[in-house]
Amino acid sequence: MIKIPRLLQAVLVVAFIYVAFIVVFDVVLGQVIPASLLTMYMFFVIAGVFMVFTFTEESARELAAPIKALVEDPRKKAIRNVVFAALPLAAAAFTYYNMLPSYQAPVELRSIHPAPPSTVKAFGKRYDLSTLENPFRKYEKEDPEKFEQLVKEGGNIYVGNCQYCHGDKLDGKGPFAQGLNPIPLNFQDIGTIAQLQESFLFWRIATGGPGLPEEATPWLSSMPVWQNFLTEDEIWKVILYLYDYTGHRPRSWAQAHE
Amino acid sequence: MSRTYLKMELFHYFKMASGMKVLIVFFMLMSMGVLAPVAAQTGDAEAGAEVYARRCTWCHGEYGDALTDAAERLNPPPRDFTFAQYKIKSTAFDNYFPNDDDLFRMIRDGMPGTAMPGWADVLSDREIRNLVAYIKTFAGLEEEEPGPSMDYGKQIASSAESIEQGKRLFHEDERCVECHGREGKGDAVKGLKDDVGFRTWPRNLTKPWAFRASNDPKDIFTRISTGIPGTQMPAFADPASDKKLTIEERWHVANYVNSLAKTQEVVKPENTVVKAEKVDGDVPDTVDDPRWERTESSTFFLVSQIVGEERFFTPSNDTITARALYSDVDIAILLEWDDRTKSIPGDETAEKISDPEIAEDGVAIQLPVKIPEGTEKPYFGMGDATYPVNVWHWQSGTTDEPQSVSLMNAKGFADIERRDAEKSAISAHGIYRNGTWRVLVKRPLSAADKEKDIELIEGKAIPIAFAAWDGSNSEKGSRHTMTTWYWILLKPGVGARPIISAAFAGFLVFGVLLWWQRTASTKRA
Ligand code: HEC
Ligand code: HEC
Repeated sequence: MIKIPRLLQAVLVVAFIYVAFIVVFDVVLGQVIPASLLTMYMFFVIAGVFMVFTFTEESARELAAPIKALVEDPRKKAIRNVVFAALPLAAAAFTYYNMLPSYQAPVELRSIHPAPPSTVKAFGKRYDLSTLENPFRKYEKEDPEKFEQLVKEGGNIYVGNCQYCHGDKLDGKGPFAQGLNPIPLNFQDIGTIAQLQESFLFWRIATGGPGLPEEATPWLSSMPVWQNFLTEDEIWKVILYLYDYTGHRPRSWAQAHE
Repeated sequence: MSRTYLKMELFHYFKMASGMKVLIVFFMLMSMGVLAPVAAQTGDAEAGAEVYARRCTWCHGEYGDALTDAAERLNPPPRDFTFAQYKIKSTAFDNYFPNDDDLFRMIRDGMPGTAMPGWADVLSDREIRNLVAYIKTFAGLEEEEPGPSMDYGKQIASSAESIEQGKRLFHEDERCVECHGREGKGDAVKGLKDDVGFRTWPRNLTKPWAFRASNDPKDIFTRISTGIPGTQMPAFADPASDKKLTIEERWHVANYVNSLAKTQEVVKPENTVVKAEKVDGDVPDTVDDPRWERTESSTFFLVSQIVGEERFFTPSNDTITARALYSDVDIAILLEWDDRTKSIPGDETAEKISDPEIAEDGVAIQLPVKIPEGTEKPYFGMGDATYPVNVWHWQSGTTDEPQSVSLMNAKGFADIERRDAEKSAISAHGIYRNGTWRVLVKRPLSAADKEKDIELIEGKAIPIAFAAWDGSNSEKGSRHTMTTWYWILLKPGVGARPIISAAFAGFLVFGVLLWWQRTASTKRA
């Protein structure tokens, strides 16, 4: 059996872990791993491998042997000359490319579901969000037929106004979605309307992007200000449709306070 | 009104024809003493009805007639199933109906470039089969025998030679050029309407992402053979056509069309920055300056303006490409977008192709008046009271008026101040060629009016947004397409720092190595 030098072994282990990261994230999970995160992980991996490979004094010596030989062994003069030329050049190139100015877009952080204010103004009125309820929700039990009709009306409002961005499957992939930044919300996702009260939705729909608080970058959101285009009743009906179509239930205040 | 009327007429005609066909088939089968075997994969129409009611009624209507609220704001409108006429079919050209598999595929994969989504992620194959069975009942098609598949002959693989052949056939007698334009960008020379009277646009063949089926050569072959029923896209397998194509020729044309797909000016979502390079001397004065070809481009999606009155839902332009160069004094931005029509009010041909009320084509650049220091920006739709924006707006002119550029300062949709572009030294000029507008916009870097104009500063990421108008598609005023905020960056000269640092790092490493080697050899000695 051929014995792989320990130094090469260490390099191979690190390379294997590096490739594994790329495969797991980029291919299996389909989510490209950010360079900064990868750098951090690899730092720990290299440190770990180094520690394992230098655990005993002998193993440390074995690991260092090829390097030591390269510097000290007179028979290795040819290789030494190559390495002594290549290393400084690599260092210079690395520094050069790192010093070039970057043309990346500035990073913009935003919170997607900002805390709502306690009261909001819309339709020339003030609403107390902690007590606001969908006036049509009660028909779900009291008059299912009427409720179904209201949901239907909500659906028609939805396809005529909202599907362009949020999509007819309510998955945030409407025909215009790809041109928007931030992208429209996906209501099928359990992280959106399933976590929210109907009053929160009313606020978000009525006042749109410009009605968002600072931390949610209101200047970027292309969500229209729907009080300009829809009536109060229409907004409540659309909300019924969103929950009905996705099968999610709105959160109630009782749940929220638990 | 007229739409419904026309539909009734056609519907009765169709019903009769189909009834007769069914009868003939029935008697034939009776006389032969056999019963039609039920197709192995027929779905269950009743089960389909349930899914339909939940998922499809919104656009296609409870009765399949597409007379829905949604239809008013969609172009193309949702399919009217009572017609039984479908765009995508792989049966022979003289067979009116698609196969179940064609319908299955359209429902599963959807129709890109329209509101019709693919349903594969929410519906099972079984459910889709059931839907196919159900939508056929709207036209009494459930008894219809599926037609045989068209003859594909032997597929000719794409090659430079085949593409060359295809190109010749594409141009010969204006065969495809007549509607799809010299470069295939769909720059119509005619105003086209579908059978029901809706506006249709010939496909821009360089944009495969907007193909209803796909730009795979086999799909293109199929479309060329059968045409796109209900639209003016003709069937070139029709022996009665004086521009008909043989099977072999159709493969060549398909390979050519497939080769037209854009590779350069396509949207790369990760690229959100227009990078302006610094030039020595002056910035380009014309759209044809060869330096543009060497300048990196950034392409963005255009979407309809639906945040402010009056909203607009039926866009025709879908992407815009920007390039920029700057000098010590000026910046030049080249905007490029495919527009099927050169909309010049007063021009007879242009008016004929246009929707009624032709308007000028146009493009606009939006920039903040002050480059934001923090993360806060003006509202992307025409700014806001705290953060006003500059809008540089170029228009294509009429037969009486030349091209023009205007300047606006806006604090929201309702608060717009019109200013003199000339005083701020903004100039713009555009050229329309083969389905593409190329417009060059220029301005000095420094603001003419320090209060009201943006000062363009090297090395800073500056928010930028774009808008475009297709005047033949009833786009005017607030009816237009636009982008959200992206960035423009005047790339600073690199300077000497990187090279000095690199030399330093190189010497340092070399020095350390040398020192190590020295100490090692002295130790040994
Ligand atoms: C948001 C609106 C919308 C919804 C919801 C919708 N469609 Fe469509 N559909 C369209 C539009 C628009 C077209 C026409 C596209 C075109 O003409 O290019 C279309 C076309 C079709 C076609 C015609 C394909 C062809 O070859 O001509 C079929 C079949 C179809 N839809 C089935 C369905 C089914 C089944 C559902 C429910 C699961 C559904 N659609 C839901 C908008 C919609
Ligand atoms: C009389 C006008 C006309 C002519 C001639 C014509 N087309 Fe078309 N073509 C159209 C229209 C209109 C559409 C879009 C139909 C629609 O609305 O879906 C279209 C669509 C297409 C598509 C899109 C298919 C898809 O999946 O979306 C292809 C490919 C195409 N044409 C190829 C050709 C080729 C190749 C020729 C010449 C052999 C040709 N056309 C000739 C009018 C025409």
